Amino acid sequence: MSGCCKHCGSNSIVHDDISANLFCSSCGLVSEFDGYDAQIGGLNGPEGTFVRVGTSGTGTQYSYKESKIYNAQNLIDDIVYKFALSPSKCSDIKTMIAQITENEFGQGAWFPILIGACAYIVMRKDNKSLPIAEVASVVGCDIYELGRMFVRVVDFLGLKGSEEFPEFDIVVAFERAVRNCGKFSGLGKDIVERMRKQGVFLIQCAVQWFLTTGRKPLPVVAAVLVLVAELNEVDLRIEDVALEVHAAVSTCRSRYKELLESLVKVAQVLPWGKDVTVKNVVRNAPFVIQYMERKSMGKRGEKRKGVEEEEEKGGGIDLGDAVTECLRKNVEHGTSGNSVENDSLYFNAEENRGFVGSGGESFDQMKISHECLSLMYTEFLNEMGHEKFMEGSGEVPQRKGMRGFEFLACRDWWEGKSELSKKLLLKQILEKDVGLDALPPSFVNGCKVYKRRKEKINAAKLRIDRIKHPLGTDLVESGDIGLSECVNAGKKRKGKRVKDIDWEDFIIEALLLHEVKEEEIEKGHYNTLLDLHVFNGGILPEVPVWKA
Amino acid sequence: MAEQGLEGSQPVDLKKHPSGIVPTLQNIVSTVNLDCKLDLKAIALQARNAEYNPKRFAAVIMRIREPKTTALIFASGKMVCTGAKSEQQSKLAARKYARIIQKLGFPAKFKDFKIQNIVGSCDVKFPIRLEGLAYSHGAFSSYEPELFPGLIYRMKQPKIVLLIFVSGKIVLTGAKVRDETYTAFENIYPVLTEFRKNQQ
Repeated sequence: MSGCCKHCGSNSIVHDDISANLFCSSCGLVSEFDGYDAQIGGLNGPEGTFVRVGTSGTGTQYSYKESKIYNAQNLIDDIVYKFALSPSKCSDIKTMIAQITENEFGQGAWFPILIGACAYIVMRKDNKSLPIAEVASVVGCDIYELGRMFVRVVDFLGLKGSEEFPEFDIVVAFERAVRNCGKFSGLGKDIVERMRKQGVFLIQCAVQWFLTTGRKPLPVVAAVLVLVAELNEVDLRIEDVALEVHAAVSTCRSRYKELLESLVKVAQVLPWGKDVTVKNVVRNAPFVIQYMERKSMGKRGEKRKGVEEEEEKGGGIDLGDAVTECLRKNVEHGTSGNSVENDSLYFNAEENRGFVGSGGESFDQMKISHECLSLMYTEFLNEMGHEKFMEGSGEVPQRKGMRGFEFLACRDWWEGKSELSKKLLLKQILEKDVGLDALPPSFVNGCKVYKRRKEKINAAKLRIDRIKHPLGTDLVESGDIGLSECVNAGKKRKGKRVKDIDWEDFIIEALLLHEVKEEEIEKGHYNTLLDLHVFNGGILPEVPVWKA
Repeated sequence: MAEQGLEGSQPVDLKKHPSGIVPTLQNIVSTVNLDCKLDLKAIALQARNAEYNPKRFAAVIMRIREPKTTALIFASGKMVCTGAKSEQQSKLAARKYARIIQKLGFPAKFKDFKIQNIVGSCDVKFPIRLEGLAYSHGAFSSYEPELFPGLIYRMKQPKIVLLIFVSGKIVLTGAKVRDETYTAFENIYPVLTEFRKNQQ
């Protein structure tokens, strides 16, 4: 530090406390800064270049480890805040992470994923399932990355199979979706509560119908949410819900369709069940759900007794009257085209005391009172009247036209007394009878594929027979028929009656000629069978082709 | 061994397969040591059925038609053969690859041939309530429908991993010999029937 000013040469150099610079008090020149101090320990501190890695800091300087932990804690707080979890959950998550990382916490891209996995596990331990897709979107990774971390954490903590770690609960996920749905915020509490109950009921039905097994839960949640909203006259688009619950729109749509298809199957027991299709089932849903609700209140195996009781109670109004009334008014039922067929259906119905037995469904299989059915019927008639009016006024009968009806009706049809509207254990759900005993869609499709292959095998056998025994062609004339049948079984060729043989037929023929068992071919592992039996790869010469 | 490849054409031995279902082997993975250093670039240039992209993967990928298999050939001389449908096919294929390498001018041998993994699959033809199975066999199974549609069952004895799907289709993997696959399936079959959904 020089004692005189470089500019004027005077000795009046003063230290400025604020900027720590030296300046000349006579000419005002600010001297070049040369007040370098050792950063650590002041002037008496250690000399040389100080590299600050892995040592303890002093004063306001934190060490690497401290700052890492500090940043990690901040990150945890930040992510937990985004999930809107309670402080106790936050501390649980921190404890879990501390346990896993042995109090080291961490930094880097993997750390937010660990936080997400721990948040997911903590919530699930508390039976408040947080959807993994939501966690992934908050953390900013894909669900498989998160899933891998989740599996590692579960293994590390030994949570697998323990009582304190329940399975992901779809009902909880639905309730969460209802709570968080932006569209529902403007609605009354009672409507939301009713929708929640109806949704829980439908979700648990879906569980029973295998619509959730082996499927991502969130699209089912979205589908049920949309259906329930529709029943309660809340305008909710499936795309919006899908976005909100982090599910793929197309999956949500197919789940919605499956749900409707299942409802159509249940609706078959209604007197006008044959008219109910996927297109109009939403309009009929109140009746279907009411039926399911009532049915679920009884137990499996007690059907007869229950029906007798109902019969005793419901002696007031005869369903026959309702049907006759319906015929007199000559209204249409759920379908857009009124036809003679429909009418004849109801004549049948009348004969059967109002129950159109589809596939052997009879009165004693139903548990619904006359009174209730006639009430449903009257409501249905009202609706149809309304629709007719709409048609008469030249408007296209869109769903909006029906809204008024549904809104009025849903107050009456929904009782919410069934236990299925509350969260139940799987075992309890399976004990309930909701009027449909469905098989998993994947299984049903598998059966169809087996059947199609069987047809193809039979057709191939006929073709082979015809070639082997040309004289007996008269007898096996059906060969062509067999082929056309099998060809038309394929979905893509629908409507085309082209008698061509595709690659699959050739493979089946080849396999049959190599005496492969039909049961093996039916499984459809063509490549394996070809390798094993046709190309003979496995049973090649005893003497090797080449010796090492 | 040779007759095992033909099990499809013979009646099911109910003593060995009490369930009456024999899992179909879908893939066999084997390894062999050719015991010589290989110049992968030279192999890739000379062999028509080889692909080599060192930026992507540090091995030559070679395919043959019969048995229809794929081999990964590493510069160290180690080779992995995948895609065969039976053990002997896998060995035959490995020998064919070794022969190709030899013809390309390398002193390839055929050392330590070993089947590393056998994958099988089958269909029990009834739907399975995965939730119930996961609940009662929690220690062995992992069923996370959010992540994977099947239930992953890690059997301890034999040490086999099974993927069980609601449709009744089963995949068994991790076996070193085919009997492990069969035993694992016979072990799991009674458990599956416990959680079957009765068809009405």
